[in-house]
Amino acid sequence: MAAGGRARAQRPNLDKMERMVVSMQDPDEGVKMRSQRLLITVIPHAVAEALHLGALLVRHGYLYPLRDPRSLALRPDETPYRFQTPYFWASTVWPASELDYAIYLAKRSIQRRGALLDHEKGCAPRIWQEHYDQLQWKISHAWDLVVTQAREQLRAMKQRRRGDRLVITCQEQAYWLVNRPPPGVPNVLEQGPERGSCAASRLQTCKSLDFYKWEIEYARKALGRNRLKSSVCLEAYLKFSSQRGPHDPILSGCLPSNPWVTDDDTYWAVNAPTAATPTRLRVERWGFSFQELLEDPVGRAHFMDFLEKEFSAENLSFWEACEQLRYGGQAQVPALVDAVYQQFLAPGAARWVNIDSRTMERTLAGLCRPHRYVLDDAQLHIYMLMKKDSYPRFLKSDMYKGLLTEATVPVETKRRVFPFMRKPRHCSPSPALPTAGPGGGGED
Amino acid sequence: MAREECKALLDALNRTTACYHHLVLTVGGSADSQNLREELQKTRQKAHELAVATGARLTGALRDKSLAAEERAEFERLWVAFSGCLDLLEADMQRALALGSAFPLNAPRRPLVRTGVAGAASAVAARALSARSLRHEAEHDFDVADLQELEREVLQVGEMIQDMEMKVNVPRWTVQARQAAGAELLSGASAGASSAGGMSVEERSGPCDPSKALAATLFSAVLLAAVALAVCVAKLS
Repeated sequence: MAAGGRARAQRPNLDKMERMVVSMQDPDEGVKMRSQRLLITVIPHAVAEALHLGALLVRHGYLYPLRDPRSLALRPDETPYRFQTPYFWASTVWPASELDYAIYLAKRSIQRRGALLDHEKGCAPRIWQEHYDQLQWKISHAWDLVVTQAREQLRAMKQRRRGDRLVITCQEQAYWLVNRPPPGVPNVLEQGPERGSCAASRLQTCKSLDFYKWEIEYARKALGRNRLKSSVCLEAYLKFSSQRGPHDPILSGCLPSNPWVTDDDTYWAVNAPTAATPTRLRVERWGFSFQELLEDPVGRAHFMDFLEKEFSAENLSFWEACEQLRYGGQAQVPALVDAVYQQFLAPGAARWVNIDSRTMERTLAGLCRPHRYVLDDAQLHIYMLMKKDSYPRFLKSDMYKGLLTEATVPVETKRRVFPFMRKPRHCSPSPALPTAGPGGGGED
Repeated sequence: MAREECKALLDALNRTTACYHHLVLTVGGSADSQNLREELQKTRQKAHELAVATGARLTGALRDKSLAAEERAEFERLWVAFSGCLDLLEADMQRALALGSAFPLNAPRRPLVRTGVAGAASAVAARALSARSLRHEAEHDFDVADLQELEREVLQVGEMIQDMEMKVNVPRWTVQARQAAGAELLSGASAGASSAGGMSVEERSGPCDPSKALAATLFSAVLLAAVALAVCVAKLS
């Protein structure tokens, strides 16, 4: 229940309305006011104006009508309105809590002697009785507080003049009409799904030293961020899409057939991570980027074979050992670091990897306190080495070309649904528009 | 006894919170003035003192392991009411801070909203402080200095609430309120703002129509009289 100074995004339309209401108060440029006589009390500052903006103001509760207090609508005749006190403005007190509503209903109930139902005609006062009963059930543990506060607030109000009392009652009534609208009246305070924008003004009550330190850090990080031109970004995106288009099973259909359509899971068996013979598409994908090659277990195995021919297989082994360290269990970290050091990094090691001196110094210094990321620098160095050096050679090598020619292209199964249909339907329908591609994009 | 003391403190706190709520209602409106801000400050300080005292007593009582079960239930009830009251007070103080900084008293370009409330609220503040009347003795730029103090006090109250929650663990759903539903209707005659001195509703079974009850009693009275007459006639004849 405690609000605790949580930042709340001000809704910009409420902000604008409030500024307008405040400027209406200006004695020189504001709206004309005149006093209103109500029985024997004189209440000053009633306003008679009507615009569309006025209607908005009334619906959000910044003005309320005096003649017909139950309906918040602006009428173009001479009915008087009054400004709502800033305490009840939509931005200050929102959201209205159940406890406050319960206290308000209890006050009304006491004032009208147990009958919340009004005998004047108006919109559904029965709903207040229902709300009241519901609240009694919902927050029954706090009912003591509700009753005591209602009584005390009424007693405090008695200390004021009669005119002020009437005004305050009208204000409260108007406020609750906005915040708990009767059925059939649209709720103006409803907000759509959270946008999550923290660009709105934050309500910071205390700008302490920590806050400024955080801001400085944040600004410094923002300065150092990599800025990329959107043209470059979009080009990369286009290239990615055109390269990957034929490989996507939804866009270009999948061979031999879509398992969801034909109940035949050859497609999954053929493309399993540890399949013996990779498909042609898969082998082509290895040429897209080094990451693709390493992520595919079959690709990695073939790459390891290639590296063994070139006598640089220890690079890939070292990289795999580092991956194991990063993603392995915490208890194995010290032992694994030790093993890696003995095998790859020690001066006379069996499979010594070629790392530059600066990285080697840093790594050796970090080995005193082993944690799972201690070999990150070395791993990155080896990764870039493989990517720049071995990977292009692999793609140009005979081994890769041989793999490409050996790779299978599954045959598309023809599906005949009805015996008398002349044209067989496609068994991997693609929702994309018909494009030239393997398996076609025929619509079903 | 500790319980009566706590109850008395809690009642005083409730009264002060209600008065503070009333005073904050008019901030930024046409009744806003230096005096009002000063009254707000005095009420707030009194509420703060009461809150600290009540909190200390209640925490002490509830952390005492050797308490009987029904006494503990009683203290828990008081605790729930106290924490609810403190939440209301904190919310009102935050609003007072926001409104006070949005509507500074001496700025020429930011006039106060004319809401129609014109009277002074010193009687309300006097009720809160249980004093006969209130003297206003603030200097000119009081509200600006007051806002910073208000900020500090809001944080203090927030810390107090958190502290309390840490020290004592009272699950809200196990507390049964003493006042049943409809209890506010008893003694409604004294709290009603309108002047017509009507009858207060005795029945607690929801809003039953008083005229219907009257008709029922009349009918049963007439029926009894008829039965008595018939018996007399039967005896005589």
